[in-house]
Amino acid sequence: MILKRKRRGPVTLPTASMGDIAFLLIIFFMVCSNFAKESNIKYKPPEAKEVDAVRDAGMSVVMDADGKIYLNGHELDGVDSLKTELEGMLKGKTNDTMREVLFKCDLSVMRKVFEPALGAIVAAGGTAVAVGDKRKRD
Amino acid sequence: MPFKVRRRKRESAVPTDSMSDIAFLLIIFFILTTSIRKLTGFKTDLPTADKSVASQKTPTVQLNGGQVRWDDKVISFAELKQKLGDLKLGSKPKGERVVLLDSGPDVAYQNYFEVMAMITSANGVVGILEEEKK
Repeated sequence: MILKRKRRGPVTLPTASMGDIAFLLIIFFMVCSNFAKESNIKYKPPEAKEVDAVRDAGMSVVMDADGKIYLNGHELDGVDSLKTELEGMLKGKTNDTMREVLFKCDLSVMRKVFEPALGAIVAAGGTAVAVGDKRKRD
Repeated sequence: MPFKVRRRKRESAVPTDSMSDIAFLLIIFFILTTSIRKLTGFKTDLPTADKSVASQKTPTVQLNGGQVRWDDKVISFAELKQKLGDLKLGSKPKGERVVLLDSGPDVAYQNYFEVMAMITSANGVVGILEEEKK
């Protein structure tokens, strides 16, 4: 019996939908990303072994090494304006998690400088969440 | 007599062959420029107390410069962790979980943060001890 060899057509990879897949991936990455608001502020975070993952709250206060205060990336005049701004932002927010304010402070700042800012967050009705890095070495 | 010239319509198509290349290049750009960072820290609950009001029984951590004191004895950060663990704060009601933090004005945030993190992880509530108000 003679079997006829089947003719095979050229093998092609379907690439028509490749662009769609790629653009969907881009959209996914863009939606899932949190763009850093404070990339222009230079501060060195403190380290501790006993830190856990915290939720990224909508408000963040940063204090750089010179003691300058920033609220959501914008520089403020001082502690009084921080309190006033935060009071406005926290108005009507009754949920505890919505009142969380991230506090990022340079590790070299002295207590007499950073404590008034920490106090202003509490006085405005916010819950301060101290942000720092996890220490990997002992 | 005017003649109508029928023009052949040219087929128009947007060239999409390189679209996927562009898209993948964009993905590679995003992946390379993104720094995936997890926020770490702890929630603070900061009740304040005057030195005169603070109870004698309330455990107090004294912080001065880089020095930690417990019961007026200088201890290391590792020893402090041990002492806080011995208090078994997790089994106590919230009002009795307060550990006072008595620190000088020239304490750097690094040390302050470390002690606060230790107290919080031992289920304690950090109480800031303020100088007596005159």
